[in-house]
Amino acid sequence: MIFNSYEFIVFFTLVFILYWFVLDKTSKTQNSLLLIASLVFFGWTDWRFLIVLIFNILFNYFLAKKIYKENKEKIKIRILWIGIIINVGVLGYYKYFNFFYENFVDVFHVFGSDLTFSPLQIIIPLGISFFTFQTLGYILDVFYEEVEPYSDILLFSTYVTFFPKILSGPIERAQKFIPQIVNKRTFNYNMAVDGLRQILWGVFAKMVIAENCAEIVNPIFNNYQNESGNTLLIGASFYAIQLYADFSGYSNMAIGVSKLFGIDLMRNFATPFFSTNISDFWRKWHMSLTTWMMDYIFTPLSFTLRRFKKLGLIFSIILTFLIVGLWHGANWTFVVFGALHGIYFIPLVLTGSMNKSSIVAKDRFLPSLVEIIKMASLFYLITLTSIFFRSKQVSDAIEYIQIIFSKSLFSYPVAFINANVFSVIFLIFIYFTIEWFHRTKSHDFEISNKPVYVRWTLYIGLFVFLILFGKSSDTFIYFQF
Amino acid sequence: MERTTIIEKIKITLTHVLGHENFELTDDLTAKDVDGWDSLSHMMIITKIEEEFKITFKLRDLNKLNNMGSLISLVQSKL
Repeated sequence: MIFNSYEFIVFFTLVFILYWFVLDKTSKTQNSLLLIASLVFFGWTDWRFLIVLIFNILFNYFLAKKIYKENKEKIKIRILWIGIIINVGVLGYYKYFNFFYENFVDVFHVFGSDLTFSPLQIIIPLGISFFTFQTLGYILDVFYEEVEPYSDILLFSTYVTFFPKILSGPIERAQKFIPQIVNKRTFNYNMAVDGLRQILWGVFAKMVIAENCAEIVNPIFNNYQNESGNTLLIGASFYAIQLYADFSGYSNMAIGVSKLFGIDLMRNFATPFFSTNISDFWRKWHMSLTTWMMDYIFTPLSFTLRRFKKLGLIFSIILTFLIVGLWHGANWTFVVFGALHGIYFIPLVLTGSMNKSSIVAKDRFLPSLVEIIKMASLFYLITLTSIFFRSKQVSDAIEYIQIIFSKSLFSYPVAFINANVFSVIFLIFIYFTIEWFHRTKSHDFEISNKPVYVRWTLYIGLFVFLILFGKSSDTFIYFQF
Repeated sequence: MERTTIIEKIKITLTHVLGHENFELTDDLTAKDVDGWDSLSHMMIITKIEEEFKITFKLRDLNKLNNMGSLISLVQSKL
């Protein structure tokens, strides 16, 4: 069930009415409703997925208690490792088994073996990477004594399963989420309106920007061998925008829906293309994953390797990004995607400018020329990685890039000189212009302090664009992860 | 070691790693208040402090730090 579908509207309306008007007596009734609704939502595609989810909840709930109660450090560490191995093992089985199996067979082929690869038919439970990371983070937090284990299974289950975030995040922390559902929630008009605004912005990003970009991108990637260099470069640029609009749009919808239930989820994107270096970009891109990786992979790793100074730092960054890449899926294309991002950090570490983060054109209306050049360069570095992200195989991506850097890069871009492409460029221009003016706000469409006529002009404008250019789709790119 | 001596040494270390001294070293100071002190430079600062005081931190201790006051107390407890 996806947010921009009719079945979700029916489901949401029913849960919303029950939540605020029927089962609004206590926090327990509200949480029970959220839990049941979330299980229905999650099991909608395939009820068998619920088994994996329920196992994940119960296992981590009790394991966290065990870690907390244990006094001996050595045993504590051992229990933690059991937790890590089982969580990563379940995730690994569903997502990575065939990948490792196939590569294992390939390695044997090098040594002359005649083993054959016959993939197992494994259906990956939706959202498994997201909820596994949540609960894995939770047991690590309990181990590091950042949080005490929760002793209310209803609270904990509601946290893990909460339907707005279960399929594609944001990856929430228990200690931020659970305190919000301990007490009974009362309807907050301003929060709900803000949520609706964020949903509208998310729907616009998904249905107008991402889907229109997809229509340009798909034929190019499907037939890249016969396209010119400039077509491929422009196609890849559209894909970078599509990926962003698709996932940030989804995140805005998730956060917006959650606000309608009086619960704040963490921000997941903060206008990342308005960054002047890669480090700044990752502070604003898929923030809930970045902070997770930072806290549980990069920090322990760089702490262990701290004696090796910059070399240790570079190693930690590259390894962290390889895991970021692999988190997206079992394919070498994602590994290369992660490795490239890690490599982009090296100049920053060497020059010591890693920590320089600033808001582009702070207190100014427009960016300076230097800022524009930096943002554009960064955009093309990201675009390069997104070619790997989009391609089926690494060899496809390499060939795609080779064609970009051929003579045909300087030919006339015939494929893009038509009214349809120009209208998409116009829509993208509007999209980024609105984002630009909200780059310092709490979200990309935070217009609560604007006069009524401005707000309504924007609402109506977006609705008109939705009607004229909106395209439906039955999936989001990040659902596969 | 006296608390004031620890503070003085930490101040020198911070200035050395960050390349500026645009901060006032109070107990309430947090990394967010100091230009350039983020999770990446953090490790360099921590390593320098370990070298300076000849101590070793545990990751769990570091995770619990919430301001300069708690860092000073942690260093003091290790000496």
